[in-house]
Amino acid sequence: MSLYILEGLKPWVVQRVTAVYIALFLTYSLFCGLSVDVVSFEHWRSWLFHPFNSIAFGLFIVAVLFHAWVGMRDVILDYVHNIMLRMFVLALVVGVLVGCGLWVMRILLFSMVG
Amino acid sequence: MRFNIYRYNPDLDSKPYMQEYELRDIEPGMMLLAALLKLKEQDETLSFRRSCGEGVCGSDSMNINGVNGLACITPLADLREPVEIRPLPGLPVVRDLIVDMEQFYQQYREVKPYLIVKDPVPEVELPQTPEQREKLDGLYECILCACCSTACPSFWWNPDKFLGPAALLQASRFIEDSRDQALDERLENLEGPFKLFRCHTIMNCVQVCPKGLNPTKAIGNIRKKMVKNSL
Repeated sequence: MSLYILEGLKPWVVQRVTAVYIALFLTYSLFCGLSVDVVSFEHWRSWLFHPFNSIAFGLFIVAVLFHAWVGMRDVILDYVHNIMLRMFVLALVVGVLVGCGLWVMRILLFSMVG
Repeated sequence: MRFNIYRYNPDLDSKPYMQEYELRDIEPGMMLLAALLKLKEQDETLSFRRSCGEGVCGSDSMNINGVNGLACITPLADLREPVEIRPLPGLPVVRDLIVDMEQFYQQYREVKPYLIVKDPVPEVELPQTPEQREKLDGLYECILCACCSTACPSFWWNPDKFLGPAALLQASRFIEDSRDQALDERLENLEGPFKLFRCHTIMNCVQVCPKGLNPTKAIGNIRKKMVKNSL
């Protein structure tokens, strides 16, 4: 997977598609949150592990990670001109984003069993 | 009227400096270029480009009170004092207000700003319908003054890789032309993270274009064409 580093059109499309999905999911989540009287951990957990919401939330996390990646890639391509430093910073961003993805998975797994 | 003008002669000066000038005989409706010509009578060493004086040739583009524009169509009455005049930003200074435009022209050449026809060239003109011709409005009028490209932060950050709004407007002009037969090659040439996609829709180009053109819209149309072409 090239992670779109040397591409132009694909990351541009990915950024826009993920932005639309993020906006839709956040609107849906807000609507769900506002439609109940009290939001508790138990309520959140039952909402999240509803099959539709689980898939939607999983896609949301993937969308956020890709959106953040394309955005950070753009900033780095604009400002970091030294090739070695640019590759290092890009790798660092990939590491942080993968770490965030794993962290979300860990939280979800713990929520599921506990 | 007071002026503060960027001065730099690489043969004599170790670094650039701002020089103050004062012009007394301001006439009503006078443009900045006329004032600069009067100042040049006072100080013959002051250097700048100019040609038509009508906003057509694009020679006298410069940074006027922080905004790029053409001196010949900038009324003095619209400028606050002291009028600060600098060369176009982001390009190497040759002398005073004269910049080296080679980078800009290189970007222009890169988009192949001419019709490419693969069929045998007909003996008569290549006709267009009025609708096909209309698509070129807002694209063909560019005078290559470089006001837009040198106002673009993406151009400042990656001048050797990003083509800049002027060249991309020209790319769009030939992409939209019904007579051109190199659409795929033109779009492929613009693919990659730098040439086209460094544009972040900042729209400085639209703000400063002395001909009222919209390079940001043209860039958006190229992107739409790319998406359509890839499906």
